[in-house]
Amino acid sequence: MKQTQTHQRTRPWPGFPTSKSSSLGSFGDTNCMEQLLVHCANAIESNDATLAQQILWVLNNIAPPDGDSNQRLTCGFLRALIARAAKNGTCKLLAAMANAHCNLALHTHKFTVMELASFVDLTPWHRFGFTAANAAILEAVEGYSVIHIVDLSLTHCMQIPTLVDALANRFEVAPLIKLTVVDAKEDAPPTLDLSHEELGSKLINFARSRNVMMEFRVVHSSYADGFSSLIEQLRVQHLVYAESGEALVINCHMMLHYVPEETLPGINPNANSNPYNNFEPSSSSLSSSCMSSLRTMFLKSLRSLDPTVVVLVDEDVDLTSNNLVCRLRSAFNYLWIPYDTVDTFLPKGSTQRQWYEADIYWKIENVIAHEGLQRVERLEPKTRWVQRMRNANFRGISFGEEAASEVRAMLDEHAAGWGLKKEEDDLVLTWKGHNVVFATAWMPV
Amino acid sequence: MPADLDNSSTASGEASVSSSGNQPPAPPPKSAAGAKKKRNLPGMPDPEAEVIALSPKTLLATNRFVCEICNKGFQRDQNLQLHRRGHNLPWKLRQRSSKEVKKRVYVCPEPTCVHHDPSRALGDLTGIKKHFCRKHGEKKWKCDKCSKKYAVQSDWKAHSKICGTREYKCDCGTLFSRRDSFITHRAFCDALAEESARAHTQPPPNPNPGPASPNPNQESDPKVQADSSSPPQAPAASPAAPVVASQSTGVMASSTVLPVQGPELTDHPSQIIEDVPAPKPAPIVPPLPTASAGFNGSCSSNTSSSSNGSTSSSVFASLFASSNGPGSLQPSQTPVFTDLMRAIGQSDHSTDLAPPPSVEPVSLCLSTSHGSSIFGTAGQERRQYAPPPQPAMSATALLQKAAQMGAAATNASLLRGLGIVSSSSPSAQQDNMQWGHRQVEPENASVPSGLGLGLPCDESSGLKELMMGTPIFGPKQTTLDFLGLGMAASASPSGGLSALITSIGGGLDVARATTSFGGAEFTAKDMGRSS
Repeated sequence: MKQTQTHQRTRPWPGFPTSKSSSLGSFGDTNCMEQLLVHCANAIESNDATLAQQILWVLNNIAPPDGDSNQRLTCGFLRALIARAAKNGTCKLLAAMANAHCNLALHTHKFTVMELASFVDLTPWHRFGFTAANAAILEAVEGYSVIHIVDLSLTHCMQIPTLVDALANRFEVAPLIKLTVVDAKEDAPPTLDLSHEELGSKLINFARSRNVMMEFRVVHSSYADGFSSLIEQLRVQHLVYAESGEALVINCHMMLHYVPEETLPGINPNANSNPYNNFEPSSSSLSSSCMSSLRTMFLKSLRSLDPTVVVLVDEDVDLTSNNLVCRLRSAFNYLWIPYDTVDTFLPKGSTQRQWYEADIYWKIENVIAHEGLQRVERLEPKTRWVQRMRNANFRGISFGEEAASEVRAMLDEHAAGWGLKKEEDDLVLTWKGHNVVFATAWMPV
Repeated sequence: MPADLDNSSTASGEASVSSSGNQPPAPPPKSAAGAKKKRNLPGMPDPEAEVIALSPKTLLATNRFVCEICNKGFQRDQNLQLHRRGHNLPWKLRQRSSKEVKKRVYVCPEPTCVHHDPSRALGDLTGIKKHFCRKHGEKKWKCDKCSKKYAVQSDWKAHSKICGTREYKCDCGTLFSRRDSFITHRAFCDALAEESARAHTQPPPNPNPGPASPNPNQESDPKVQADSSSPPQAPAASPAAPVVASQSTGVMASSTVLPVQGPELTDHPSQIIEDVPAPKPAPIVPPLPTASAGFNGSCSSNTSSSSNGSTSSSVFASLFASSNGPGSLQPSQTPVFTDLMRAIGQSDHSTDLAPPPSVEPVSLCLSTSHGSSIFGTAGQERRQYAPPPQPAMSATALLQKAAQMGAAATNASLLRGLGIVSSSSPSAQQDNMQWGHRQVEPENASVPSGLGLGLPCDESSGLKELMMGTPIFGPKQTTLDFLGLGMAASASPSGGLSALITSIGGGLDVARATTSFGGAEFTAKDMGRSS
């Protein structure tokens, strides 16, 4: 550990440099780091290898991978930029540097199910969405005896146990739960070392211990084509079950941002393989093209299924820009949060912390180093999702006071920086006042 | 040991919920209200009672009866009057004429409150005070530990006593302060799988991705299939049962053998069985009656379908699923065996008993390294059906558990002696065979299996040395051993036997053992007697 690490975290508020780590002078502050990263990105994009290398050298010295949270954040971006440069071949000399960094290269951890379960509890990052979504779902499915839950989540059903438990406690006669999960071939972290089938049998077993009958189904479907096969299956089911009074719950937990949106050019899904036949590639402006992206079409087809409730939880940041520098700034001013929070729940140097930060780095690299279909971390801010949902003929449902207080009670168990904000109908998780994750609930108009 | 288990599962209310199996959760107590009237039923005062309405100020005034001499305040006028006596002041105690006492009821001063209406008045002053504070008052008592606030001091005091102690505890020993954390953990913890395997006599529903049968009762229930026509000798096998049942913990040693595979197997016994391509030769089946009898005490199961290899195997599987450990006794069929082992492996987690840390690595070695080389055909099958070991448990978790287990391990000597049999020294072969013969001598069913087994073991020469020399297996050996013996005794031509033995003990000469036991010709009845 170098001397610089002993300084306290330097970035409680982005944009307000408070760095006291002065061993490298003003370089240590986050504004400066961001500026350097931006310059570096520009240099790489403009093929200025010399400048790029100079900046990388500086960054390399002020942002050790084991430094404070801002240094680690910067280091993540640095590595991602190197990876980009090496990949593009724009700065051939950087390949060597990339190799030098390859020992730091991304090793996302394959979690055991128990590891993941405890991970989910370390921070409100996921639990916030779980708690809010469960409350909304519970309210929406009141009176249904069969509840079909489609869990579109990255967290491998970690939300389901609490939902099952809540349903079991809430209803005198527990409803039948049909759980459908998606097996997307693409693997975004966290990854699990357990098959869906094994996961399902655990869930069924657990549900039974709560006297809840559960059916578990895995649908192989890819977000790259807008979950077309999932939609197809749900459509068929809808024909069969809609009349029988089965509730259809679509739980989207940090998953929909993988569905390609308008800024991803050249995605022309062919008509044979997916239901969005009227897709036409178009400009990057949301308003003009919202009728045509897979993301839009997915929401439209969701709407056509007449779901009882759709819960949409995602990270509140815009990472869709086609401009590398825009994306870099945006990501840098969001992803400091996970690095900043980690000090509150995982000790320095712990293995879990390495896993956690490797997953953040996976995201950084995806946003910075990749382009096209490979760049899957296409997060959109809440406002844009709200617009999308409204365009798709959904109406927002307000989270009740009960949901808010449950979230607050949960946040009370975590570090003081976490907060809850009510924005109109929605709930927003905040860290030191900055939006982190939003939760919205919708039903067909 | 069973007691320990019970304690752990009931220690937390939460845990016991899951252990309740199929029973519906206790219904809310409202139905009971009709039968007997609740104490202080709010809002149903005696119509004759005098209704008192106090202002909030009066209500909250703590010492509103003040002595004019010393300014001491009292909550009740009666107390003040008594106090006045000390000052030699005139005092007046209300005479209680038992007849004339008019019942008083109190209404809440808050106009919007339901208890503001005289018809919903509360029966005593303290009650209305607390109600008013709780519902309409400021919560000025704050818990230092959890920041929870209370309006009534006594509530705060009561909370302070238990704050932090109300934790959720999983059977695996992990503590949680929040219910959702506990629930998430619980759902995926192996402890639940084991528990349900114990609690349910029927196998869990088919975990296949296709729509699972929503009704577990539709699954074939071994007990239902059990036929009372099983031979009377069957009970002889029962000595084994106690061991298994009560010492399922002991079996846990096997968790060390296949620790990784543990969790899943119980979950899909049926599925795995279905995958068996070619059922082993029929002779396998006969052992079933004995075995099942041994397991499910009362359940003397006789599969009439014994001629059908696959059917019986599924029955086996279900048996295993329901009775955790002991299953190892019965099946001589390889796939079933793995199944069994997994089931055993699972049951381990919840139990406190377990092999000392050192044991685990060793047994792990045994199961893997020996397995492949010695198994022969059986080995192949085993590999096929048993998923490759996965790091289901983190190293820390393993260590932790090992530590717990080591601490709890007590019954060393006898068990260790048993353990010898499974040890891999050449001389052990002889002993083992002797043991096999001895077993043929009928043993009383009521004799605890552990003892029964132990005796022959001690008598055989050379065993002691072996016993001493095999610390590997540690205290838990009974069951393990048992497994080995059981398999050996029921030796069928199938490679399963050898697989079992090797995986447990390592060096046994399979061929010899098999022949000495008479191989497949051994009938179930014989087995029943012998074991």
